[in-house]
This record gives sequence, C-alpha cells and structure tokens, in this order.
Amino acid sequence: MDNYIKDRKVDSNEWMPFTGLEDGDSLPTGDIYVPIEEWLNARETLLTRNGRLGVALRNTDDPAIIKDDLDRLDLVVLEFPKMADGRAFTQARLLRERYGFKGEIRATGDVLYDQLFYMQRCGINGFELRDDQNASHSLRAFDEMTVTYQPASDEELPLWRRQK
Amino acid sequence: MALQVYTASLLKEGLVAYLTLDNNLPSWTTDIHQATAAIDDSLEALKKAAEQSEQDNIVVAPYAIDVIKTDSGIIAATKREQIRATGPTIELPQENIRVSRKAA
Amino acid sequence: MYQYSDQDQQLLLERVAQFRGQVARRLKGELSEEEFKHQRLRNGLYLQLHAYMLRVAIPYGLLSSDQMRTLAHIARKYDKGYGHFSTRQNIQYNWPKLEDVPDILDDLAKVEMHAIQTSGNCIRNTTSDPLASVARDELEDPRPYCELIRQWSTFHPEFNFLPRKFKIAVSGATQDRAAVAVHDIGLRLIKNETSGENGFEVYVGGGLGRTPMIGKVIRSFLPKEDMLTYLEAILRVYNTLGRRDNIYKARIKILVHETGEDKFRELVEAEWEKIKAGGLYLKDEDFAWVKGFFKDPDYELLPDNDTEFENLLLSNTDFARWVDKNIELHKQSGYRIVYLSLKTAHQPPGDVTADQMDAIADLADKYSLSQIRTTHRQNLVLSDVKLQDLPALWEELKALDLATPNYNHVTDIISCPGLDYCALATARSIPISQAITERFDNYDFINDLGDVSINISGCINACGHHHVANIGILGVNKKGTEVYQLTLGGSAREDAAIGKIIGPAFEADEIVDAVEKVLSVYLENREDPEETFLMTYRRLGQAFFKERLYG
Ligand code: HEM
Ligand code: SF4
Repeated sequence: MDNYIKDRKVDSNEWMPFTGLEDGDSLPTGDIYVPIEEWLNARETLLTRNGRLGVALRNTDDPAIIKDDLDRLDLVVLEFPKMADGRAFTQARLLRERYGFKGEIRATGDVLYDQLFYMQRCGINGFELRDDQNASHSLRAFDEMTVTYQPASDEELPLWRRQK
Repeated sequence: MALQVYTASLLKEGLVAYLTLDNNLPSWTTDIHQATAAIDDSLEALKKAAEQSEQDNIVVAPYAIDVIKTDSGIIAATKREQIRATGPTIELPQENIRVSRKAA
Repeated sequence: MYQYSDQDQQLLLERVAQFRGQVARRLKGELSEEEFKHQRLRNGLYLQLHAYMLRVAIPYGLLSSDQMRTLAHIARKYDKGYGHFSTRQNIQYNWPKLEDVPDILDDLAKVEMHAIQTSGNCIRNTTSDPLASVARDELEDPRPYCELIRQWSTFHPEFNFLPRKFKIAVSGATQDRAAVAVHDIGLRLIKNETSGENGFEVYVGGGLGRTPMIGKVIRSFLPKEDMLTYLEAILRVYNTLGRRDNIYKARIKILVHETGEDKFRELVEAEWEKIKAGGLYLKDEDFAWVKGFFKDPDYELLPDNDTEFENLLLSNTDFARWVDKNIELHKQSGYRIVYLSLKTAHQPPGDVTADQMDAIADLADKYSLSQIRTTHRQNLVLSDVKLQDLPALWEELKALDLATPNYNHVTDIISCPGLDYCALATARSIPISQAITERFDNYDFINDLGDVSINISGCINACGHHHVANIGILGVNKKGTEVYQLTLGGSAREDAAIGKIIGPAFEADEIVDAVEKVLSVYLENREDPEETFLMTYRRLGQAFFKERLYG
C-alpha cells in the first residue's frame, strides 16, 4: 500500500525519486523525479530519456526557477518538513496560478489528514501521506468543508462575488 | 534529590491531577494531599505509571514536581505549583459580584 | 452589523462538525496530543494552568445583545459563571471541559459566533476601533474593511501555517483606539489629499512580546481597492521568508527588521504587482455590498441638551463624575457613547459574570440599539445612548457595578491573566492590578492624575501590553519569588512608543509604592494640570524619574 492519494483517489505511486546522476551514465527508465540541483545541472541529459520527469523543490526555492521548464515536467514535488511549516502552500499556488503548471503537484513529508483540505485548495493534487495515516479514511478530509471565502487555485473569485 | 509527586492535566476535563499509586494500581486525583510522594529510585514506578496514563489518554503532559510534606499535608515547592494545586489566588468573579436581575 | 448568509452559516456548522470529529479522535486516542494541539490551537483552545481555556472571536469587537446572552449562557452552563474580555476584543473562558467544547461551539454557531483562528499561527481576529461609526474624529467606518479582511483570512488555505501568529488592526479615526502600530499589520484610513479618495496608511511589523517593536509605515497611501491584494502580498512574503528556526524570531516584525524596511517594501511591492489585478481586487460593488451591513441606524433628531440630565449633573456629584469620565460625545446630536468600566478593585480586569452579561444585553436592548462593543483596554461600550437616557442607564449600571468613573484613568488597568491562570506566566498580575486599584480608589486623586495608563503582564510575552503603557509592569520570577519591573513612557496611541525599563525590579509588596512614587513625581513636576503624565515624562526624561524613584 503506497498511502498515496492522487486526484482524490487512493492510488499507487509510479514515481521513483532519483539522485544518482553523477555516478553513472545509465539513466533509469520509468518515471523519475530529481532534486532541483540535478535538474539545473543535467537538464539536457535527463530530457533524453523516455519516461516522465519530475523535480523536487526545497522550501527555500522560488518556483520561478523552473517556470520555463514546466511544460517538460509532469511532476513537482513539494516538502512539508513538519506540519507547522507552511511554505509549500505558497509554492504550490505560484506553480498553479502564476506559472500555469498542469501536471501533478505532490505534497511529501508531514502530510496529515487535517491539512489536505488546504493543500488541495492551493493546487496540490498528489499526496504522499505520512506512514501512520490511512489513505482511504483521509479522503473525507477533502469534503469536510464546502464553503471557501477567498480565491485560490480552485476559485478565481472571492465568495462575496460568487454569491451575487 | 527532593521528594516528588507526579502531576498532569486530565485529558477530558483539563483539570490538574496528581498520581496516586495504591499497591501499584495507578489513579489520578485532583487533591494533591492524596498524591503518592516518592524520592529517588521509587520515583521510577511513578514515572512509568504516569507515562502509561499518558499513552492511555487519561492525562496530558505528566511531569514531576518537588513537594514538601507538612503536618497539614503535601505542599508544592514552587509558587506556580502551589497555585496549580489550590486554584487562582484571587476570588473568582461569580463569588464577588451579586447582581440581582429584575424580571423583564 | 454583518448578517451571515446561508454559506457563512454552513461554513460554521461544517467547522464545528470537523472539530467535533477532531475531539472524538483525540479522546479515542487516534490523535496524539502533539497532533491535536495543532488542531485545538487553530480553534482557540489552550490547555492552561488549571484547565482548558477557550477563546471566542468577537470580530472587530462588535456584539449583538443576543450574542452577549449566548456568551452568558456559555459561562453559566459550561464554565464557572464568568468570562474574560481580552485586549484583542475577544472573550476567554477559563474552565471548559474538552468534551463540552463541541457543544459550546454549536451554541455559538447559533448566533453566528465561533473560535476560528483565535489562536495558532494563522491570521487572528481583526481588531478595530470600539467607537467605529460613532466617533466624532472618524474619517470612515473601518468595520466594512474589517469584515472583508475577516472573510479573506478565514481558512485562508495558503496562510494557515504561518511562521507565527498574525494580528491585523484597522482604524478609521484621527485618534488611534485600535493600537495599529503594535500589530503585525496596522491599517489606518486616511484621505489622499490629491485625489480626495480614502485609502490606507499601511504599518507592518509592530508587535510586543520579547522584542517589542513599533510598526513601520511601508506604504503611505494604499487605495482601498487594493487592500486585500496588498495584504495577500505581505502575507505571501512573510510565509515564504519569515523565520521558522526560532519561535522568538518568527514574527513578521523580525523579518522586517532583519530584511530592512526598504528591502521588505520592495519585496512586497514586487509580489503585489503580480497579483494586484487578481480576484481580490475590490470593486465598487464589493464596497457597496459590505457597507450595506454597516449603515447608520435611523437616529432620532434630538437636541443636544436635556433638562433632567442637566439637573442631575448639577445636583449629583457621582453622576457628574461618571459623565465626566465614562461618557464620550457622539457624532449624532442628542446621543452619547457610554463606557462600561470592567475595572473595579474586587474583580479581575476584563472579567464579567454571566449575570452581568445578561444584564448588559438587556441594557443594550433598552438603551443602545441592541449592540455592545468590546475595547482593547478590556472595557465595554454602549455606543448609541440617548442623552436623555443617561440618568436611568447610570442607575442601572451602578447596580451592576459597571459605573466606576475611571475610563482611561489610572485604575483602568489592562492586565493579562498571569500566574493565576496562565501556564506560561512567571508571576501573578491580577493581584497587583487589584492592589493598585485599591490604593488609588479615590476619585479626586484619579481625576487629578488625568490621562494615564497602567498595563500589567505576567511574563515577557506581554499579553498585558506593558510595553505600551505610560506605566508598564512586568512580572518576573527571580529565584522563586515574584518580582516586578517598571517600564515608563510607552504609548499605544497615535504617538506609539515602547516604554523603557526604569531600573531594578520591585518585590510584590513594594510595587504599589513604586507606582505611587512615580505618580507623585509626575504630580510634583508637571507644568500644569493640562500636562499629562506622558508629556511630563517626555519632557523630563527617564533619568529624572529614575533618580527620584531609586534615589
Ligand atoms: C492565557 C493564555 C495565553 C497564552 C498561552 C498566551 C500566549 C501568548 C504568547 C506566547 C505571546 C507572545 C507571542 C509572540 O510574541 O510571538 C502572546 C502575546 C499576546 N497575547 Fe497572549 N496569551 C494568553 C492570554 C492572552 C490574553 C488573556 C490576552 C488579552 C488580555 C492576550 C493577548 C495577547 C496580546 C495582545 C499579545 C501581544 C502582543 C503581540 O501580539 O505582539 N493573550 N500571548
Ligand atoms: S503575558 Fe505571559 S502570563 Fe500574561 S497571559 Fe501572556 S503568556 Fe500568560
């Protein structure tokens, strides 16, 4: 069981994290995602592969550094090092709303039931839940609240203008 | 080492509670005088019981405090713990203000 | 006052159901205390010294009489019969049981109230001027803007896990009664002299706590249409760059300070450029809609005098004193603003019993258009009382012990709960406030002293705003005893300033004498009775006071 949710369904995770570019010229097949430094260093090599590609951003990275690459990427991985650290919420919104990324934005790290609602509103659609979480029970979290006041990745207008 | 008792907050009520060990059977009381006080090695049993109660979701955040045994019972050593044991040092408002409400 | 739509109401009910689920998971052991803490703290529920504490939001300090009755009902049914009004215009209950909290929230939801975002590292309740819409020095009613901010910030998905808590205040008058300069963001409504349009002066990075700072003006004029896009830009910069490595350096004031005011402004403006035309840009129709909730009531056309009132003023000194201290002029002829003092010697500052709350609700219905406001100095306001009703209202307030004539005077003390309730406290604050109030419980003395503020905090977190009092008192623990530091010269108003510690701390039984000494130094050295404590202090300086206090 992957403890993974994609587009509000429990799913299996097809993606492999990959960091070993420097020690070998044989690139793995399949869908891989690499840390941002490796992407910046070896973008052309990585693009010669056939499988899908993803990039993992650190919380300190401005998503603008990959804005021109987004149409070649299928996945951007964001990190929630602990529950209280909400920097990736901003990164997700920028990727979706400002840079128009259409692929998967994935939350990793301390991904818990009670954040899923907010994550989804910021454009995150892939969730690697923390090991102790239960993916199928967690699906409820997306619908615990149905009213949203402010624009975000899922709404262009604030509630007061939608009501009229 | 000083004489100590274990204290925590009751999960459901939030009230201050103290650990009593009666023949190794743990229970929590809001009365500090009924707490089991221990020193050094025998503190270990209290600690274990307190941690177990936390895992069992009976109490929150148990810790040991220094106490003094007097003729009138157990007294916490610090001001903070004395106030925790006996409640606010001021009169609560309800006891003070007598408001008579006229029937509307 | 704002009226909930079906959707506002639905959101509250969904939130209560969600929290009920969280409490159930905690009681069953499915959530650890650590995980639950994040959830309860997003909903105003703390675990304090003796019990849980629930903080209920009072958006920009405005309550209907029915809401006040519900607050009384909660105090009676689930607590020990009283509540505590805080410096951020909210109310706190000190004794709720965890298992009762979902029911309390249900009862609150019935009157459009909640505890959403009253704690935790998110955008807190937006505070404002308690005299909004009735003050004579007002440029524009700030509450419609507060309501827009309330909606924008409620469950904002991007800003619910900020580096630290975030407090916003909005003021619309010349006098600052909302302490905008000590908030993370303070908005002051001003008129642009060239365009004639109203907009905001934007303060960022004020705050108290361990490192008190006065907010910096990072924009001298922001068109009102841009209010929310600009707030979003500030919050985005803060969420991205605010420090998360050290809780004591996590507030936005530290970010502004470490980044530098100019650089910070540049970052905000650059982000703002990219979002200013987005969905949060406010249009005329938005203002028209929200202002519709805050229209002036149909005031009666009344003369600004009344014979019975004037006769009583002449014949009854107690009434005259109350009018002099606790009544303020209203923008409307024939009406007055009435402060209900929550400061007596035998009641913790800001505490109100359930019976008093019910009675206040009745008075609001009878005399003041069924509304009550809470103030940042922990008092209440009836904002629309007819001049002719003042004698009758005064009689009723006296019977309720709510007519102490001391508003903005020396015994109108702000005090945090301190070691009597608070788990973080290093010393008690309520007994000190009571001792000071008892000592100075003499009208002539209070009157002679004039405008002076005393604020008390039980630890460096400064919930009692001691830094911005003319005379601030901070309780600290020195080798197991409670001692008190004196801070002089602070102000929370238009001339906001952080007070300075004057010297070594005093023992609990010396602090009242020390305060008295400071006051007598002022009385002996002021140029005339018009010179306030703060003016004298600023003229003579800290050293002058220090010498006389310790010399
Ligand atoms: C009893 C439980 C309370 C706890 C645990 C608590 C905790 C804290 C902490 C930790 C801070 C410092 C935050 C920082 O600077 O980052 C703070 C500040 C503050 N608290 Fe409290 N507080 C409590 C009660 C109150 C009460 C009763 C009031 C109102 C009377 C209040 C109003 C404030 C205000 C206005 C500030 C300060 C200023 C600022 O935001 O910089 N708090 N509180
Ligand atoms: S200032 Fe300190 S003692 Fe007072 S309420 Fe805040 S945290 Fe508690």
